[in-house]
Amino acid sequence: MTAPFLNVQNVTKVFGGLKAVNDASFQLERHEIVGLIGPNGAGKSTLLRLITGILQPTSGKVFFKEHDITGQSISKTVNKGLACTFQIVKPFRQLPVLANVMVPCLSPRSRRKGEWVKTVELRARDALEFCGISDLAREPASVLSHGDLKRLELARAIATEPDLLLLDEPFGGLNPAETTLVAKSLKRLHKGGRFGRLHSEGPAMLIVEHKLADLMPIVDRVIVLAFGEIIANGLPEEVVADERVIEAYIGKEVKGLEARSQ
Amino acid sequence: MIYFNLFFGWIKQEIFAIPGRVIALVFFLLLIALPLVTQDPFYLRVFTLALIFAIFAASWDVLSGFTGQLNLGHALFFGVSAYTAGLLNIHLQYSPWVTIPCGAVIAVSVGLFAGIPALRLRGFYLGLVTLTFPLILLGILFAFPNFTGGELGVSGISRVSSSAVVNYYTAMVVFTVSVMIMWKFTDAKSKLLRTGIILHAIREDEITARASGINTTYYKFMAFALSGFFAGIAGGLYVHYMRIAGPQTLDLFFSFQAILWTIFGGIATIYGPVAGVFILYPLLEFLNLTAWGELLRQIIFAVLLIVALMFMPEGITVWILDKIEVKCPRCKVVNVFYRKKCRACRAPLHLVRESAHQYNKGEV
Repeated sequence: MTAPFLNVQNVTKVFGGLKAVNDASFQLERHEIVGLIGPNGAGKSTLLRLITGILQPTSGKVFFKEHDITGQSISKTVNKGLACTFQIVKPFRQLPVLANVMVPCLSPRSRRKGEWVKTVELRARDALEFCGISDLAREPASVLSHGDLKRLELARAIATEPDLLLLDEPFGGLNPAETTLVAKSLKRLHKGGRFGRLHSEGPAMLIVEHKLADLMPIVDRVIVLAFGEIIANGLPEEVVADERVIEAYIGKEVKGLEARSQ
Repeated sequence: MIYFNLFFGWIKQEIFAIPGRVIALVFFLLLIALPLVTQDPFYLRVFTLALIFAIFAASWDVLSGFTGQLNLGHALFFGVSAYTAGLLNIHLQYSPWVTIPCGAVIAVSVGLFAGIPALRLRGFYLGLVTLTFPLILLGILFAFPNFTGGELGVSGISRVSSSAVVNYYTAMVVFTVSVMIMWKFTDAKSKLLRTGIILHAIREDEITARASGINTTYYKFMAFALSGFFAGIAGGLYVHYMRIAGPQTLDLFFSFQAILWTIFGGIATIYGPVAGVFILYPLLEFLNLTAWGELLRQIIFAVLLIVALMFMPEGITVWILDKIEVKCPRCKVVNVFYRKKCRACRAPLHLVRESAHQYNKGEV
């Protein structure tokens, strides 16, 4: 039996006296889209940062493609084929949008095929095209709206042609139309194929999201986090029906409330 | 014949159509022509030193302006190279053609050493650490006065040439080559080297740069090494021109002068520090010629800086280029300010002001 694609083993992170992530373990297979949901402050983003290596776990290990990536520098992890986006967008504000995406195209992973330096620009443009913001390519990133910045973040992540994509609230702050667009492009990215010069082998995805209505149709599996602990891990339908998840996150309809308000 | 046409077409498109490049071309032609106009040793001395200081200021800009690693002790690289070149010349009688590269290499190693704090610190904290390095080196130099000359420094160093004009042209060639290399290295639009875009990215947001798979440590050290190298070249040239390697090359104020020149000219542009040096340094030297100028020198310098920073906070070159160049809103190609339509895509460069009256008459 081969080892799982991404293996998070008993990861714990302590900030002062707070256990942000407590003994979280889960596996991710290749070609799987997994949603990571939970109430605010449950430790979803922290868990994501522990996997990417922005934060060091207090204990526990993370394996990616059988390599131990615990505590490795994020640039090394990215070059192994793991890409992430940030919840709070962090573009290079003074650089043009195209240059923002050219930076990941200059990373060792993107250049591993011995591509000539000049194709960098074309590849970056294809990544922008895929996310639907290629018309803004020459504008500085500081003039972009929040929705476009979110898509720029996605373009930056897929420009390294990752095998695993960690998305921190890709729909956060987007309007319904933009949300469906991004959800569609994620679905399409997962199918794989060539988008111009950009190649996608269908990355596995781990998506942290609050918009359940948009998230549920695209995910294969859902992991629910509450107070730093994984309380549910299974198919979307099962998780939504789970008693503890309803208690901790989704909430239930209070029958008496309507009667009282009337 | 067709190659001539292509060449002149290229010059027309790439140089004469862009006002900033025309100014740069005129500047270089004036630099070449200066010894033909005057052979006065004073003027030659001022402009030779200006060339040397321009390399120094530009090397600070590579490190702090482009890469964002604030270095408040940039005189360290200059001074290390100056002392290395001076001591090699005095004790071993090496010629300047050997000592200047040696000094630059030592400055590179010192630059790599100075880059170690930059792995953990950023912003003003890094600035404070780098501020102390030249002071530490000064302490070491004063501890061995027999070898380093103590507070008097090493004197009696040989010149590149006995002729002032040859010295000037040597400095000019070194300056041109250094500035060209630094410009190509840091230019985000360059198609030759892609380092510029990465250095900009590191300054803007280091975590995003790392999340893009860029080994920022490697590029930061590269910036430190390159900056140290060119500051070292400037230090070596300086010491072989002034014939003395003294503690003033490690002076705190000398570090700040690089920063002042760069900020006055325009930070994160290679032409900015060059313009800053070539405006401020000769101006202050020429003020020395008059009796009142000598008295009011520092005040004039301070007032000039304050006025410049108030009205041109991004630097004088950026301010001037903003006035004489217009970027096409559609294709971002640079045009002369008096053009109405973009030279590449014919998009209107300025918004047309139309009144309701004109509109009704059908003039617009």
